[in-house]
Amino acid sequence: MSRVTNLKISRAHLTSRVKQTMVAILSVTFGISMYIFMNGFMTGVNDTQTELAFSTLAHIHIYNDLPEDNTNLLQKKYGEDKLVNLRNAKVIQYTEGIKNSAKIIAAIEDHPAITGITPQVNVNVFFRNGATKLNGVLSGIDVKQESFLFGTEKYITQGSWSSMEERGDGVVLGAGLAEKLSLTLDDNVTVITADGVSRNFKVIGIIKTTIGGVDNAKGYVRISSARQLISKNQGYVTDIQINIKNFNEATKVAAQLAPKVSYKVESWNESNGQLQAGNDLRNIIAVAVSLTILLVAGFGIFNIMNMTVNEKIKEIAILKAMGFDGTDIIQIFLVQSVIIGVIGGIVGIIFGYLVSVVVSYIPFRVATLDTLPMVYDPQDYILAFIFGLITTFLAGYLPAKKASNVDPVEIIRG
Amino acid sequence: MKEEIALSARAISKYFHEPETFQVLKDISFDVKKGEFLSMIGKSGSGKSTLLYLLSTMDTDYTGEITINGECLTGRTQNQLAAFRNAHIGFVFQFHYLLPEFTALDNVMLPALKLGKKSQEEIREDAYSNLKMLGLEAQAMKQSNKLSGGQQQRVAIARALINQPAVIMGDEPTGNLDSKNTDIVFDIFRQLAAERGQTIIAVTHDDEFAQKSDRILELGDGRLLN
Repeated sequence: MSRVTNLKISRAHLTSRVKQTMVAILSVTFGISMYIFMNGFMTGVNDTQTELAFSTLAHIHIYNDLPEDNTNLLQKKYGEDKLVNLRNAKVIQYTEGIKNSAKIIAAIEDHPAITGITPQVNVNVFFRNGATKLNGVLSGIDVKQESFLFGTEKYITQGSWSSMEERGDGVVLGAGLAEKLSLTLDDNVTVITADGVSRNFKVIGIIKTTIGGVDNAKGYVRISSARQLISKNQGYVTDIQINIKNFNEATKVAAQLAPKVSYKVESWNESNGQLQAGNDLRNIIAVAVSLTILLVAGFGIFNIMNMTVNEKIKEIAILKAMGFDGTDIIQIFLVQSVIIGVIGGIVGIIFGYLVSVVVSYIPFRVATLDTLPMVYDPQDYILAFIFGLITTFLAGYLPAKKASNVDPVEIIRG
Repeated sequence: MKEEIALSARAISKYFHEPETFQVLKDISFDVKKGEFLSMIGKSGSGKSTLLYLLSTMDTDYTGEITINGECLTGRTQNQLAAFRNAHIGFVFQFHYLLPEFTALDNVMLPALKLGKKSQEEIREDAYSNLKMLGLEAQAMKQSNKLSGGQQQRVAIARALINQPAVIMGDEPTGNLDSKNTDIVFDIFRQLAAERGQTIIAVTHDDEFAQKSDRILELGDGRLLN
């Protein structure tokens, strides 16, 4: 009963100064909608960035790491206290690539986190057309799996990705590479390996990913053609690329896979720290900016509630004289700020969503984007609401506490 | 008989420490009988209001002992005292201190809603009959800041009565009223003491008001003079 009475008084306070209440609600609305918008936008930017990066980069990469520093193996054998003199050391032939890929793939493919595995044979080659000769990488790939993992097919601007399956002599070239070599669709290009083997391929597709490493230096052929070019057997691959369900767990999954594989297992964050750093920094900025706005909103509410307490100090005194205790008074004023928080939060969520939608239609034609990227993650909306509530609760608690400490005698006696 | 004593004060002393230590009340003891209408008079600074606020339990900074309705209130916590005030003490001040956003009826209902012993409907009926007794039935649904000064003070009295308190305390309850309204308020107090056996303790400057009451306590320099 007394709670109902307290709520009634809270409501009377809120409705008796509609303008102040509106300002307080608006400041929460603004804070929360900014939180939602900033996070949606930053996540959008991060996702776009990641998607671009993962158009060539797998979440986990298995390869045969070059031997470690082998300049003086004897020193390692005998220890630091013995002096070893070794002159003109040369590395004798070591195993390149992965000989028996099928066995490795079979060993890891049942891991529940894995969504796709594709083998690659990457060869450093020269692409030549007439007198023009360019250094680049020829990537022998499994046509279907490659596109499944990296979405390569959607970056094709001319020709067709899948026709590689039918044509062993077909190559898909990066757009920049093709241009530098003056090649267009259906032209021939000569590929020369480091061992001097050369072979002609027909350009059956042009790809443009906006990633320089691909567009300016890469050609794709069928994996069997690449093996043939460097005279390797059926099971030979240089890299095994793995995608998993959640790329943020790559390091964990890589650690789980490592014991099953005798080669180097590397997660994308390990090999591309800058991507992770960029994502993290953008997230920090988004959270910092939006929390600052919420904090300012909190100060606004604090101010307004303080004014209310001062304005109503005689009422507080008489309520206490009539037997309302400190808890009642805290409830009366805290409820006001929580109501402000809840209304501001709900309006803020709606407004934040609308702002996000509007921004997501702003044209932004860079790389693969047409408009500004935007993500609508329910978690952001829930968090924004919770942060808004916490802010208003704290901002309301201090004035409420102050009100509960009002000494009625002092006020009534004047 | 012990039950006849509504309020007793024993050896009450109080000091003010600001701006310098000063003894406002010096060893005051007295009893008030049930149904008695008591006026406290005295010059400004004699300590009569200070004494009233000690009796009201709102000010707890004193030595001595205060008992109301047989319950010793000295040494209780603020929240216990708040609950006690709610149930057993009614207040009427010089200013009405009504909640301006609420109707007269809502203002009167507040202390009873806080007490929570009756249903909202019963409380509404009680509040309405209190207002009627004070001649305010027509004003019941008006917002309290739309009422005249005398009406507001009567609403404040109706509010003080809603929980049927044993003691009603007034700090200059007529200090802000013209003589007509003063008479009305006095008659109400008189009636409450006589008919309902409620004890009234009023601090006043109004000698005429004091003379008409059952007993006068006069304070001077922090001591009882009579």
